[in-house]
Amino acid sequence: MSPKSTSGNPANKAQADLTIKQQREKRRQEKLAEYQRQVAKRRRRGLMWWIVGGVAALTIAGVVVASIVFAPEPAPTFEAGGTGAQIEGVETFTNETTHVEGVVDYEQSPPAGGPHNQVWLNCGIYTEPQQNEYAVHSLEHGAVWVTYDPALVQGDELAALESQLPSSYVILSPYEGLDSPIVLSAWNAQLKLDSADDERVSEFFEEYWRNQNAPEPNAACTGAIDGPGRQ
Amino acid sequence: MTAERTGPPRWLLITLAAVAVAALAFAIGRFSTFGVAAEASAPTTDSAEAGFARDMQVHHAQAVDMAMTLYRETDDADLRALAYDIATAQSAQAGEMYSWLVSWGLPQRGGTLMAWMADDPGHLDHGSSAAPATEAELLRDMGMATEEELDAFEAASGVDADCQFLTLMTRHHEGAIDMVDAVLRLGSEPRVLQVAQSMKDVQQFELDSMAAAALRLGCS
Repeated sequence: MSPKSTSGNPANKAQADLTIKQQREKRRQEKLAEYQRQVAKRRRRGLMWWIVGGVAALTIAGVVVASIVFAPEPAPTFEAGGTGAQIEGVETFTNETTHVEGVVDYEQSPPAGGPHNQVWLNCGIYTEPQQNEYAVHSLEHGAVWVTYDPALVQGDELAALESQLPSSYVILSPYEGLDSPIVLSAWNAQLKLDSADDERVSEFFEEYWRNQNAPEPNAACTGAIDGPGRQ
Repeated sequence: MTAERTGPPRWLLITLAAVAVAALAFAIGRFSTFGVAAEASAPTTDSAEAGFARDMQVHHAQAVDMAMTLYRETDDADLRALAYDIATAQSAQAGEMYSWLVSWGLPQRGGTLMAWMADDPGHLDHGSSAAPATEAELLRDMGMATEEELDAFEAASGVDADCQFLTLMTRHHEGAIDMVDAVLRLGSEPRVLQVAQSMKDVQQFELDSMAAAALRLGCS
């Protein structure tokens, strides 16, 4: 047994030294690599958070925008009887509704509401003037009374007026002493016109014909009495 | 290593998260009102439902008028009961249809009669080449009685009046069933479809009753 054998030969020692150096170097390299991995990982994680956060922010912003852009249109706000469309020239009133006998002195001419006979005038086309007290009862049921000055409105003009009227809940009649060629009267509303071509004729019907502010808007305008000159 | 942090500070992250949650809640809150608003906005003035509600009121009003006339004049107990039934039932239905338009925020006055049925494939039209129909022709197409027919009916009495009523009301009901079929095909509002279907069921039954009554009275 040689003692040298325990100390090893120099070549072996050099090799071992080298190995230690190499090992140190390797560890250093590994540490560095590990550090770099950590840095890269942190950077990746940071980047990932930016991406996730950015996508989330964009998504939420998109949802918020969509909730505003795609919101349905608000419901139409039409309400018959003068609270909706404002028609130029329409006068409105507040009349009482009671049943009376005999002749009534009305506040408007032609009357647009007020006390009336217990019998109503059947709706329809009349060639003669009608009695106020019956026609006002028809207004109470939601009819529109279309009156005209027979000296000024006749022939084609009268036909043009008649062609715009609904088939029911309308009285058309001449009227004595009108201060305008054509007057449209509903319960508590009235419009005076110079001509049948006026676009406010259809506007008035859309707003006031059978409107819900009449006292009895769905009661009949038939089955009572026919006035003189019924067509 | 422990306190080493990069990127934005914690309070900023918390604030951003809170803003995100608030924005999301805001959007969800808005979305939750969509269905309600859509429900409130339908049907529109051009819809089959609105057209049906308007035209069927015109139609029912004449049925009520004819039934009331017969109720006053007939000597036949069965027909008086039928007239009472038609007048009161159709008055009630007309009131409901009136109220639909009020609650939908629509005017009672619409466009041309039966225009809403133009889209209905099942509806037999005059053909597109024909000139626009007059109001009287349209009413006639709806099975309604003309002024002359109403005058003749009111002037009649006894069995003659009964038979005229049965003829007019039979055609009237048939016209109503056409309109019901159109709204059943074109409409979607549940209560409208339900009321329309029951109109059809009842009027079909009444058609049978009127046919039997015409036989019994010997109407030609």
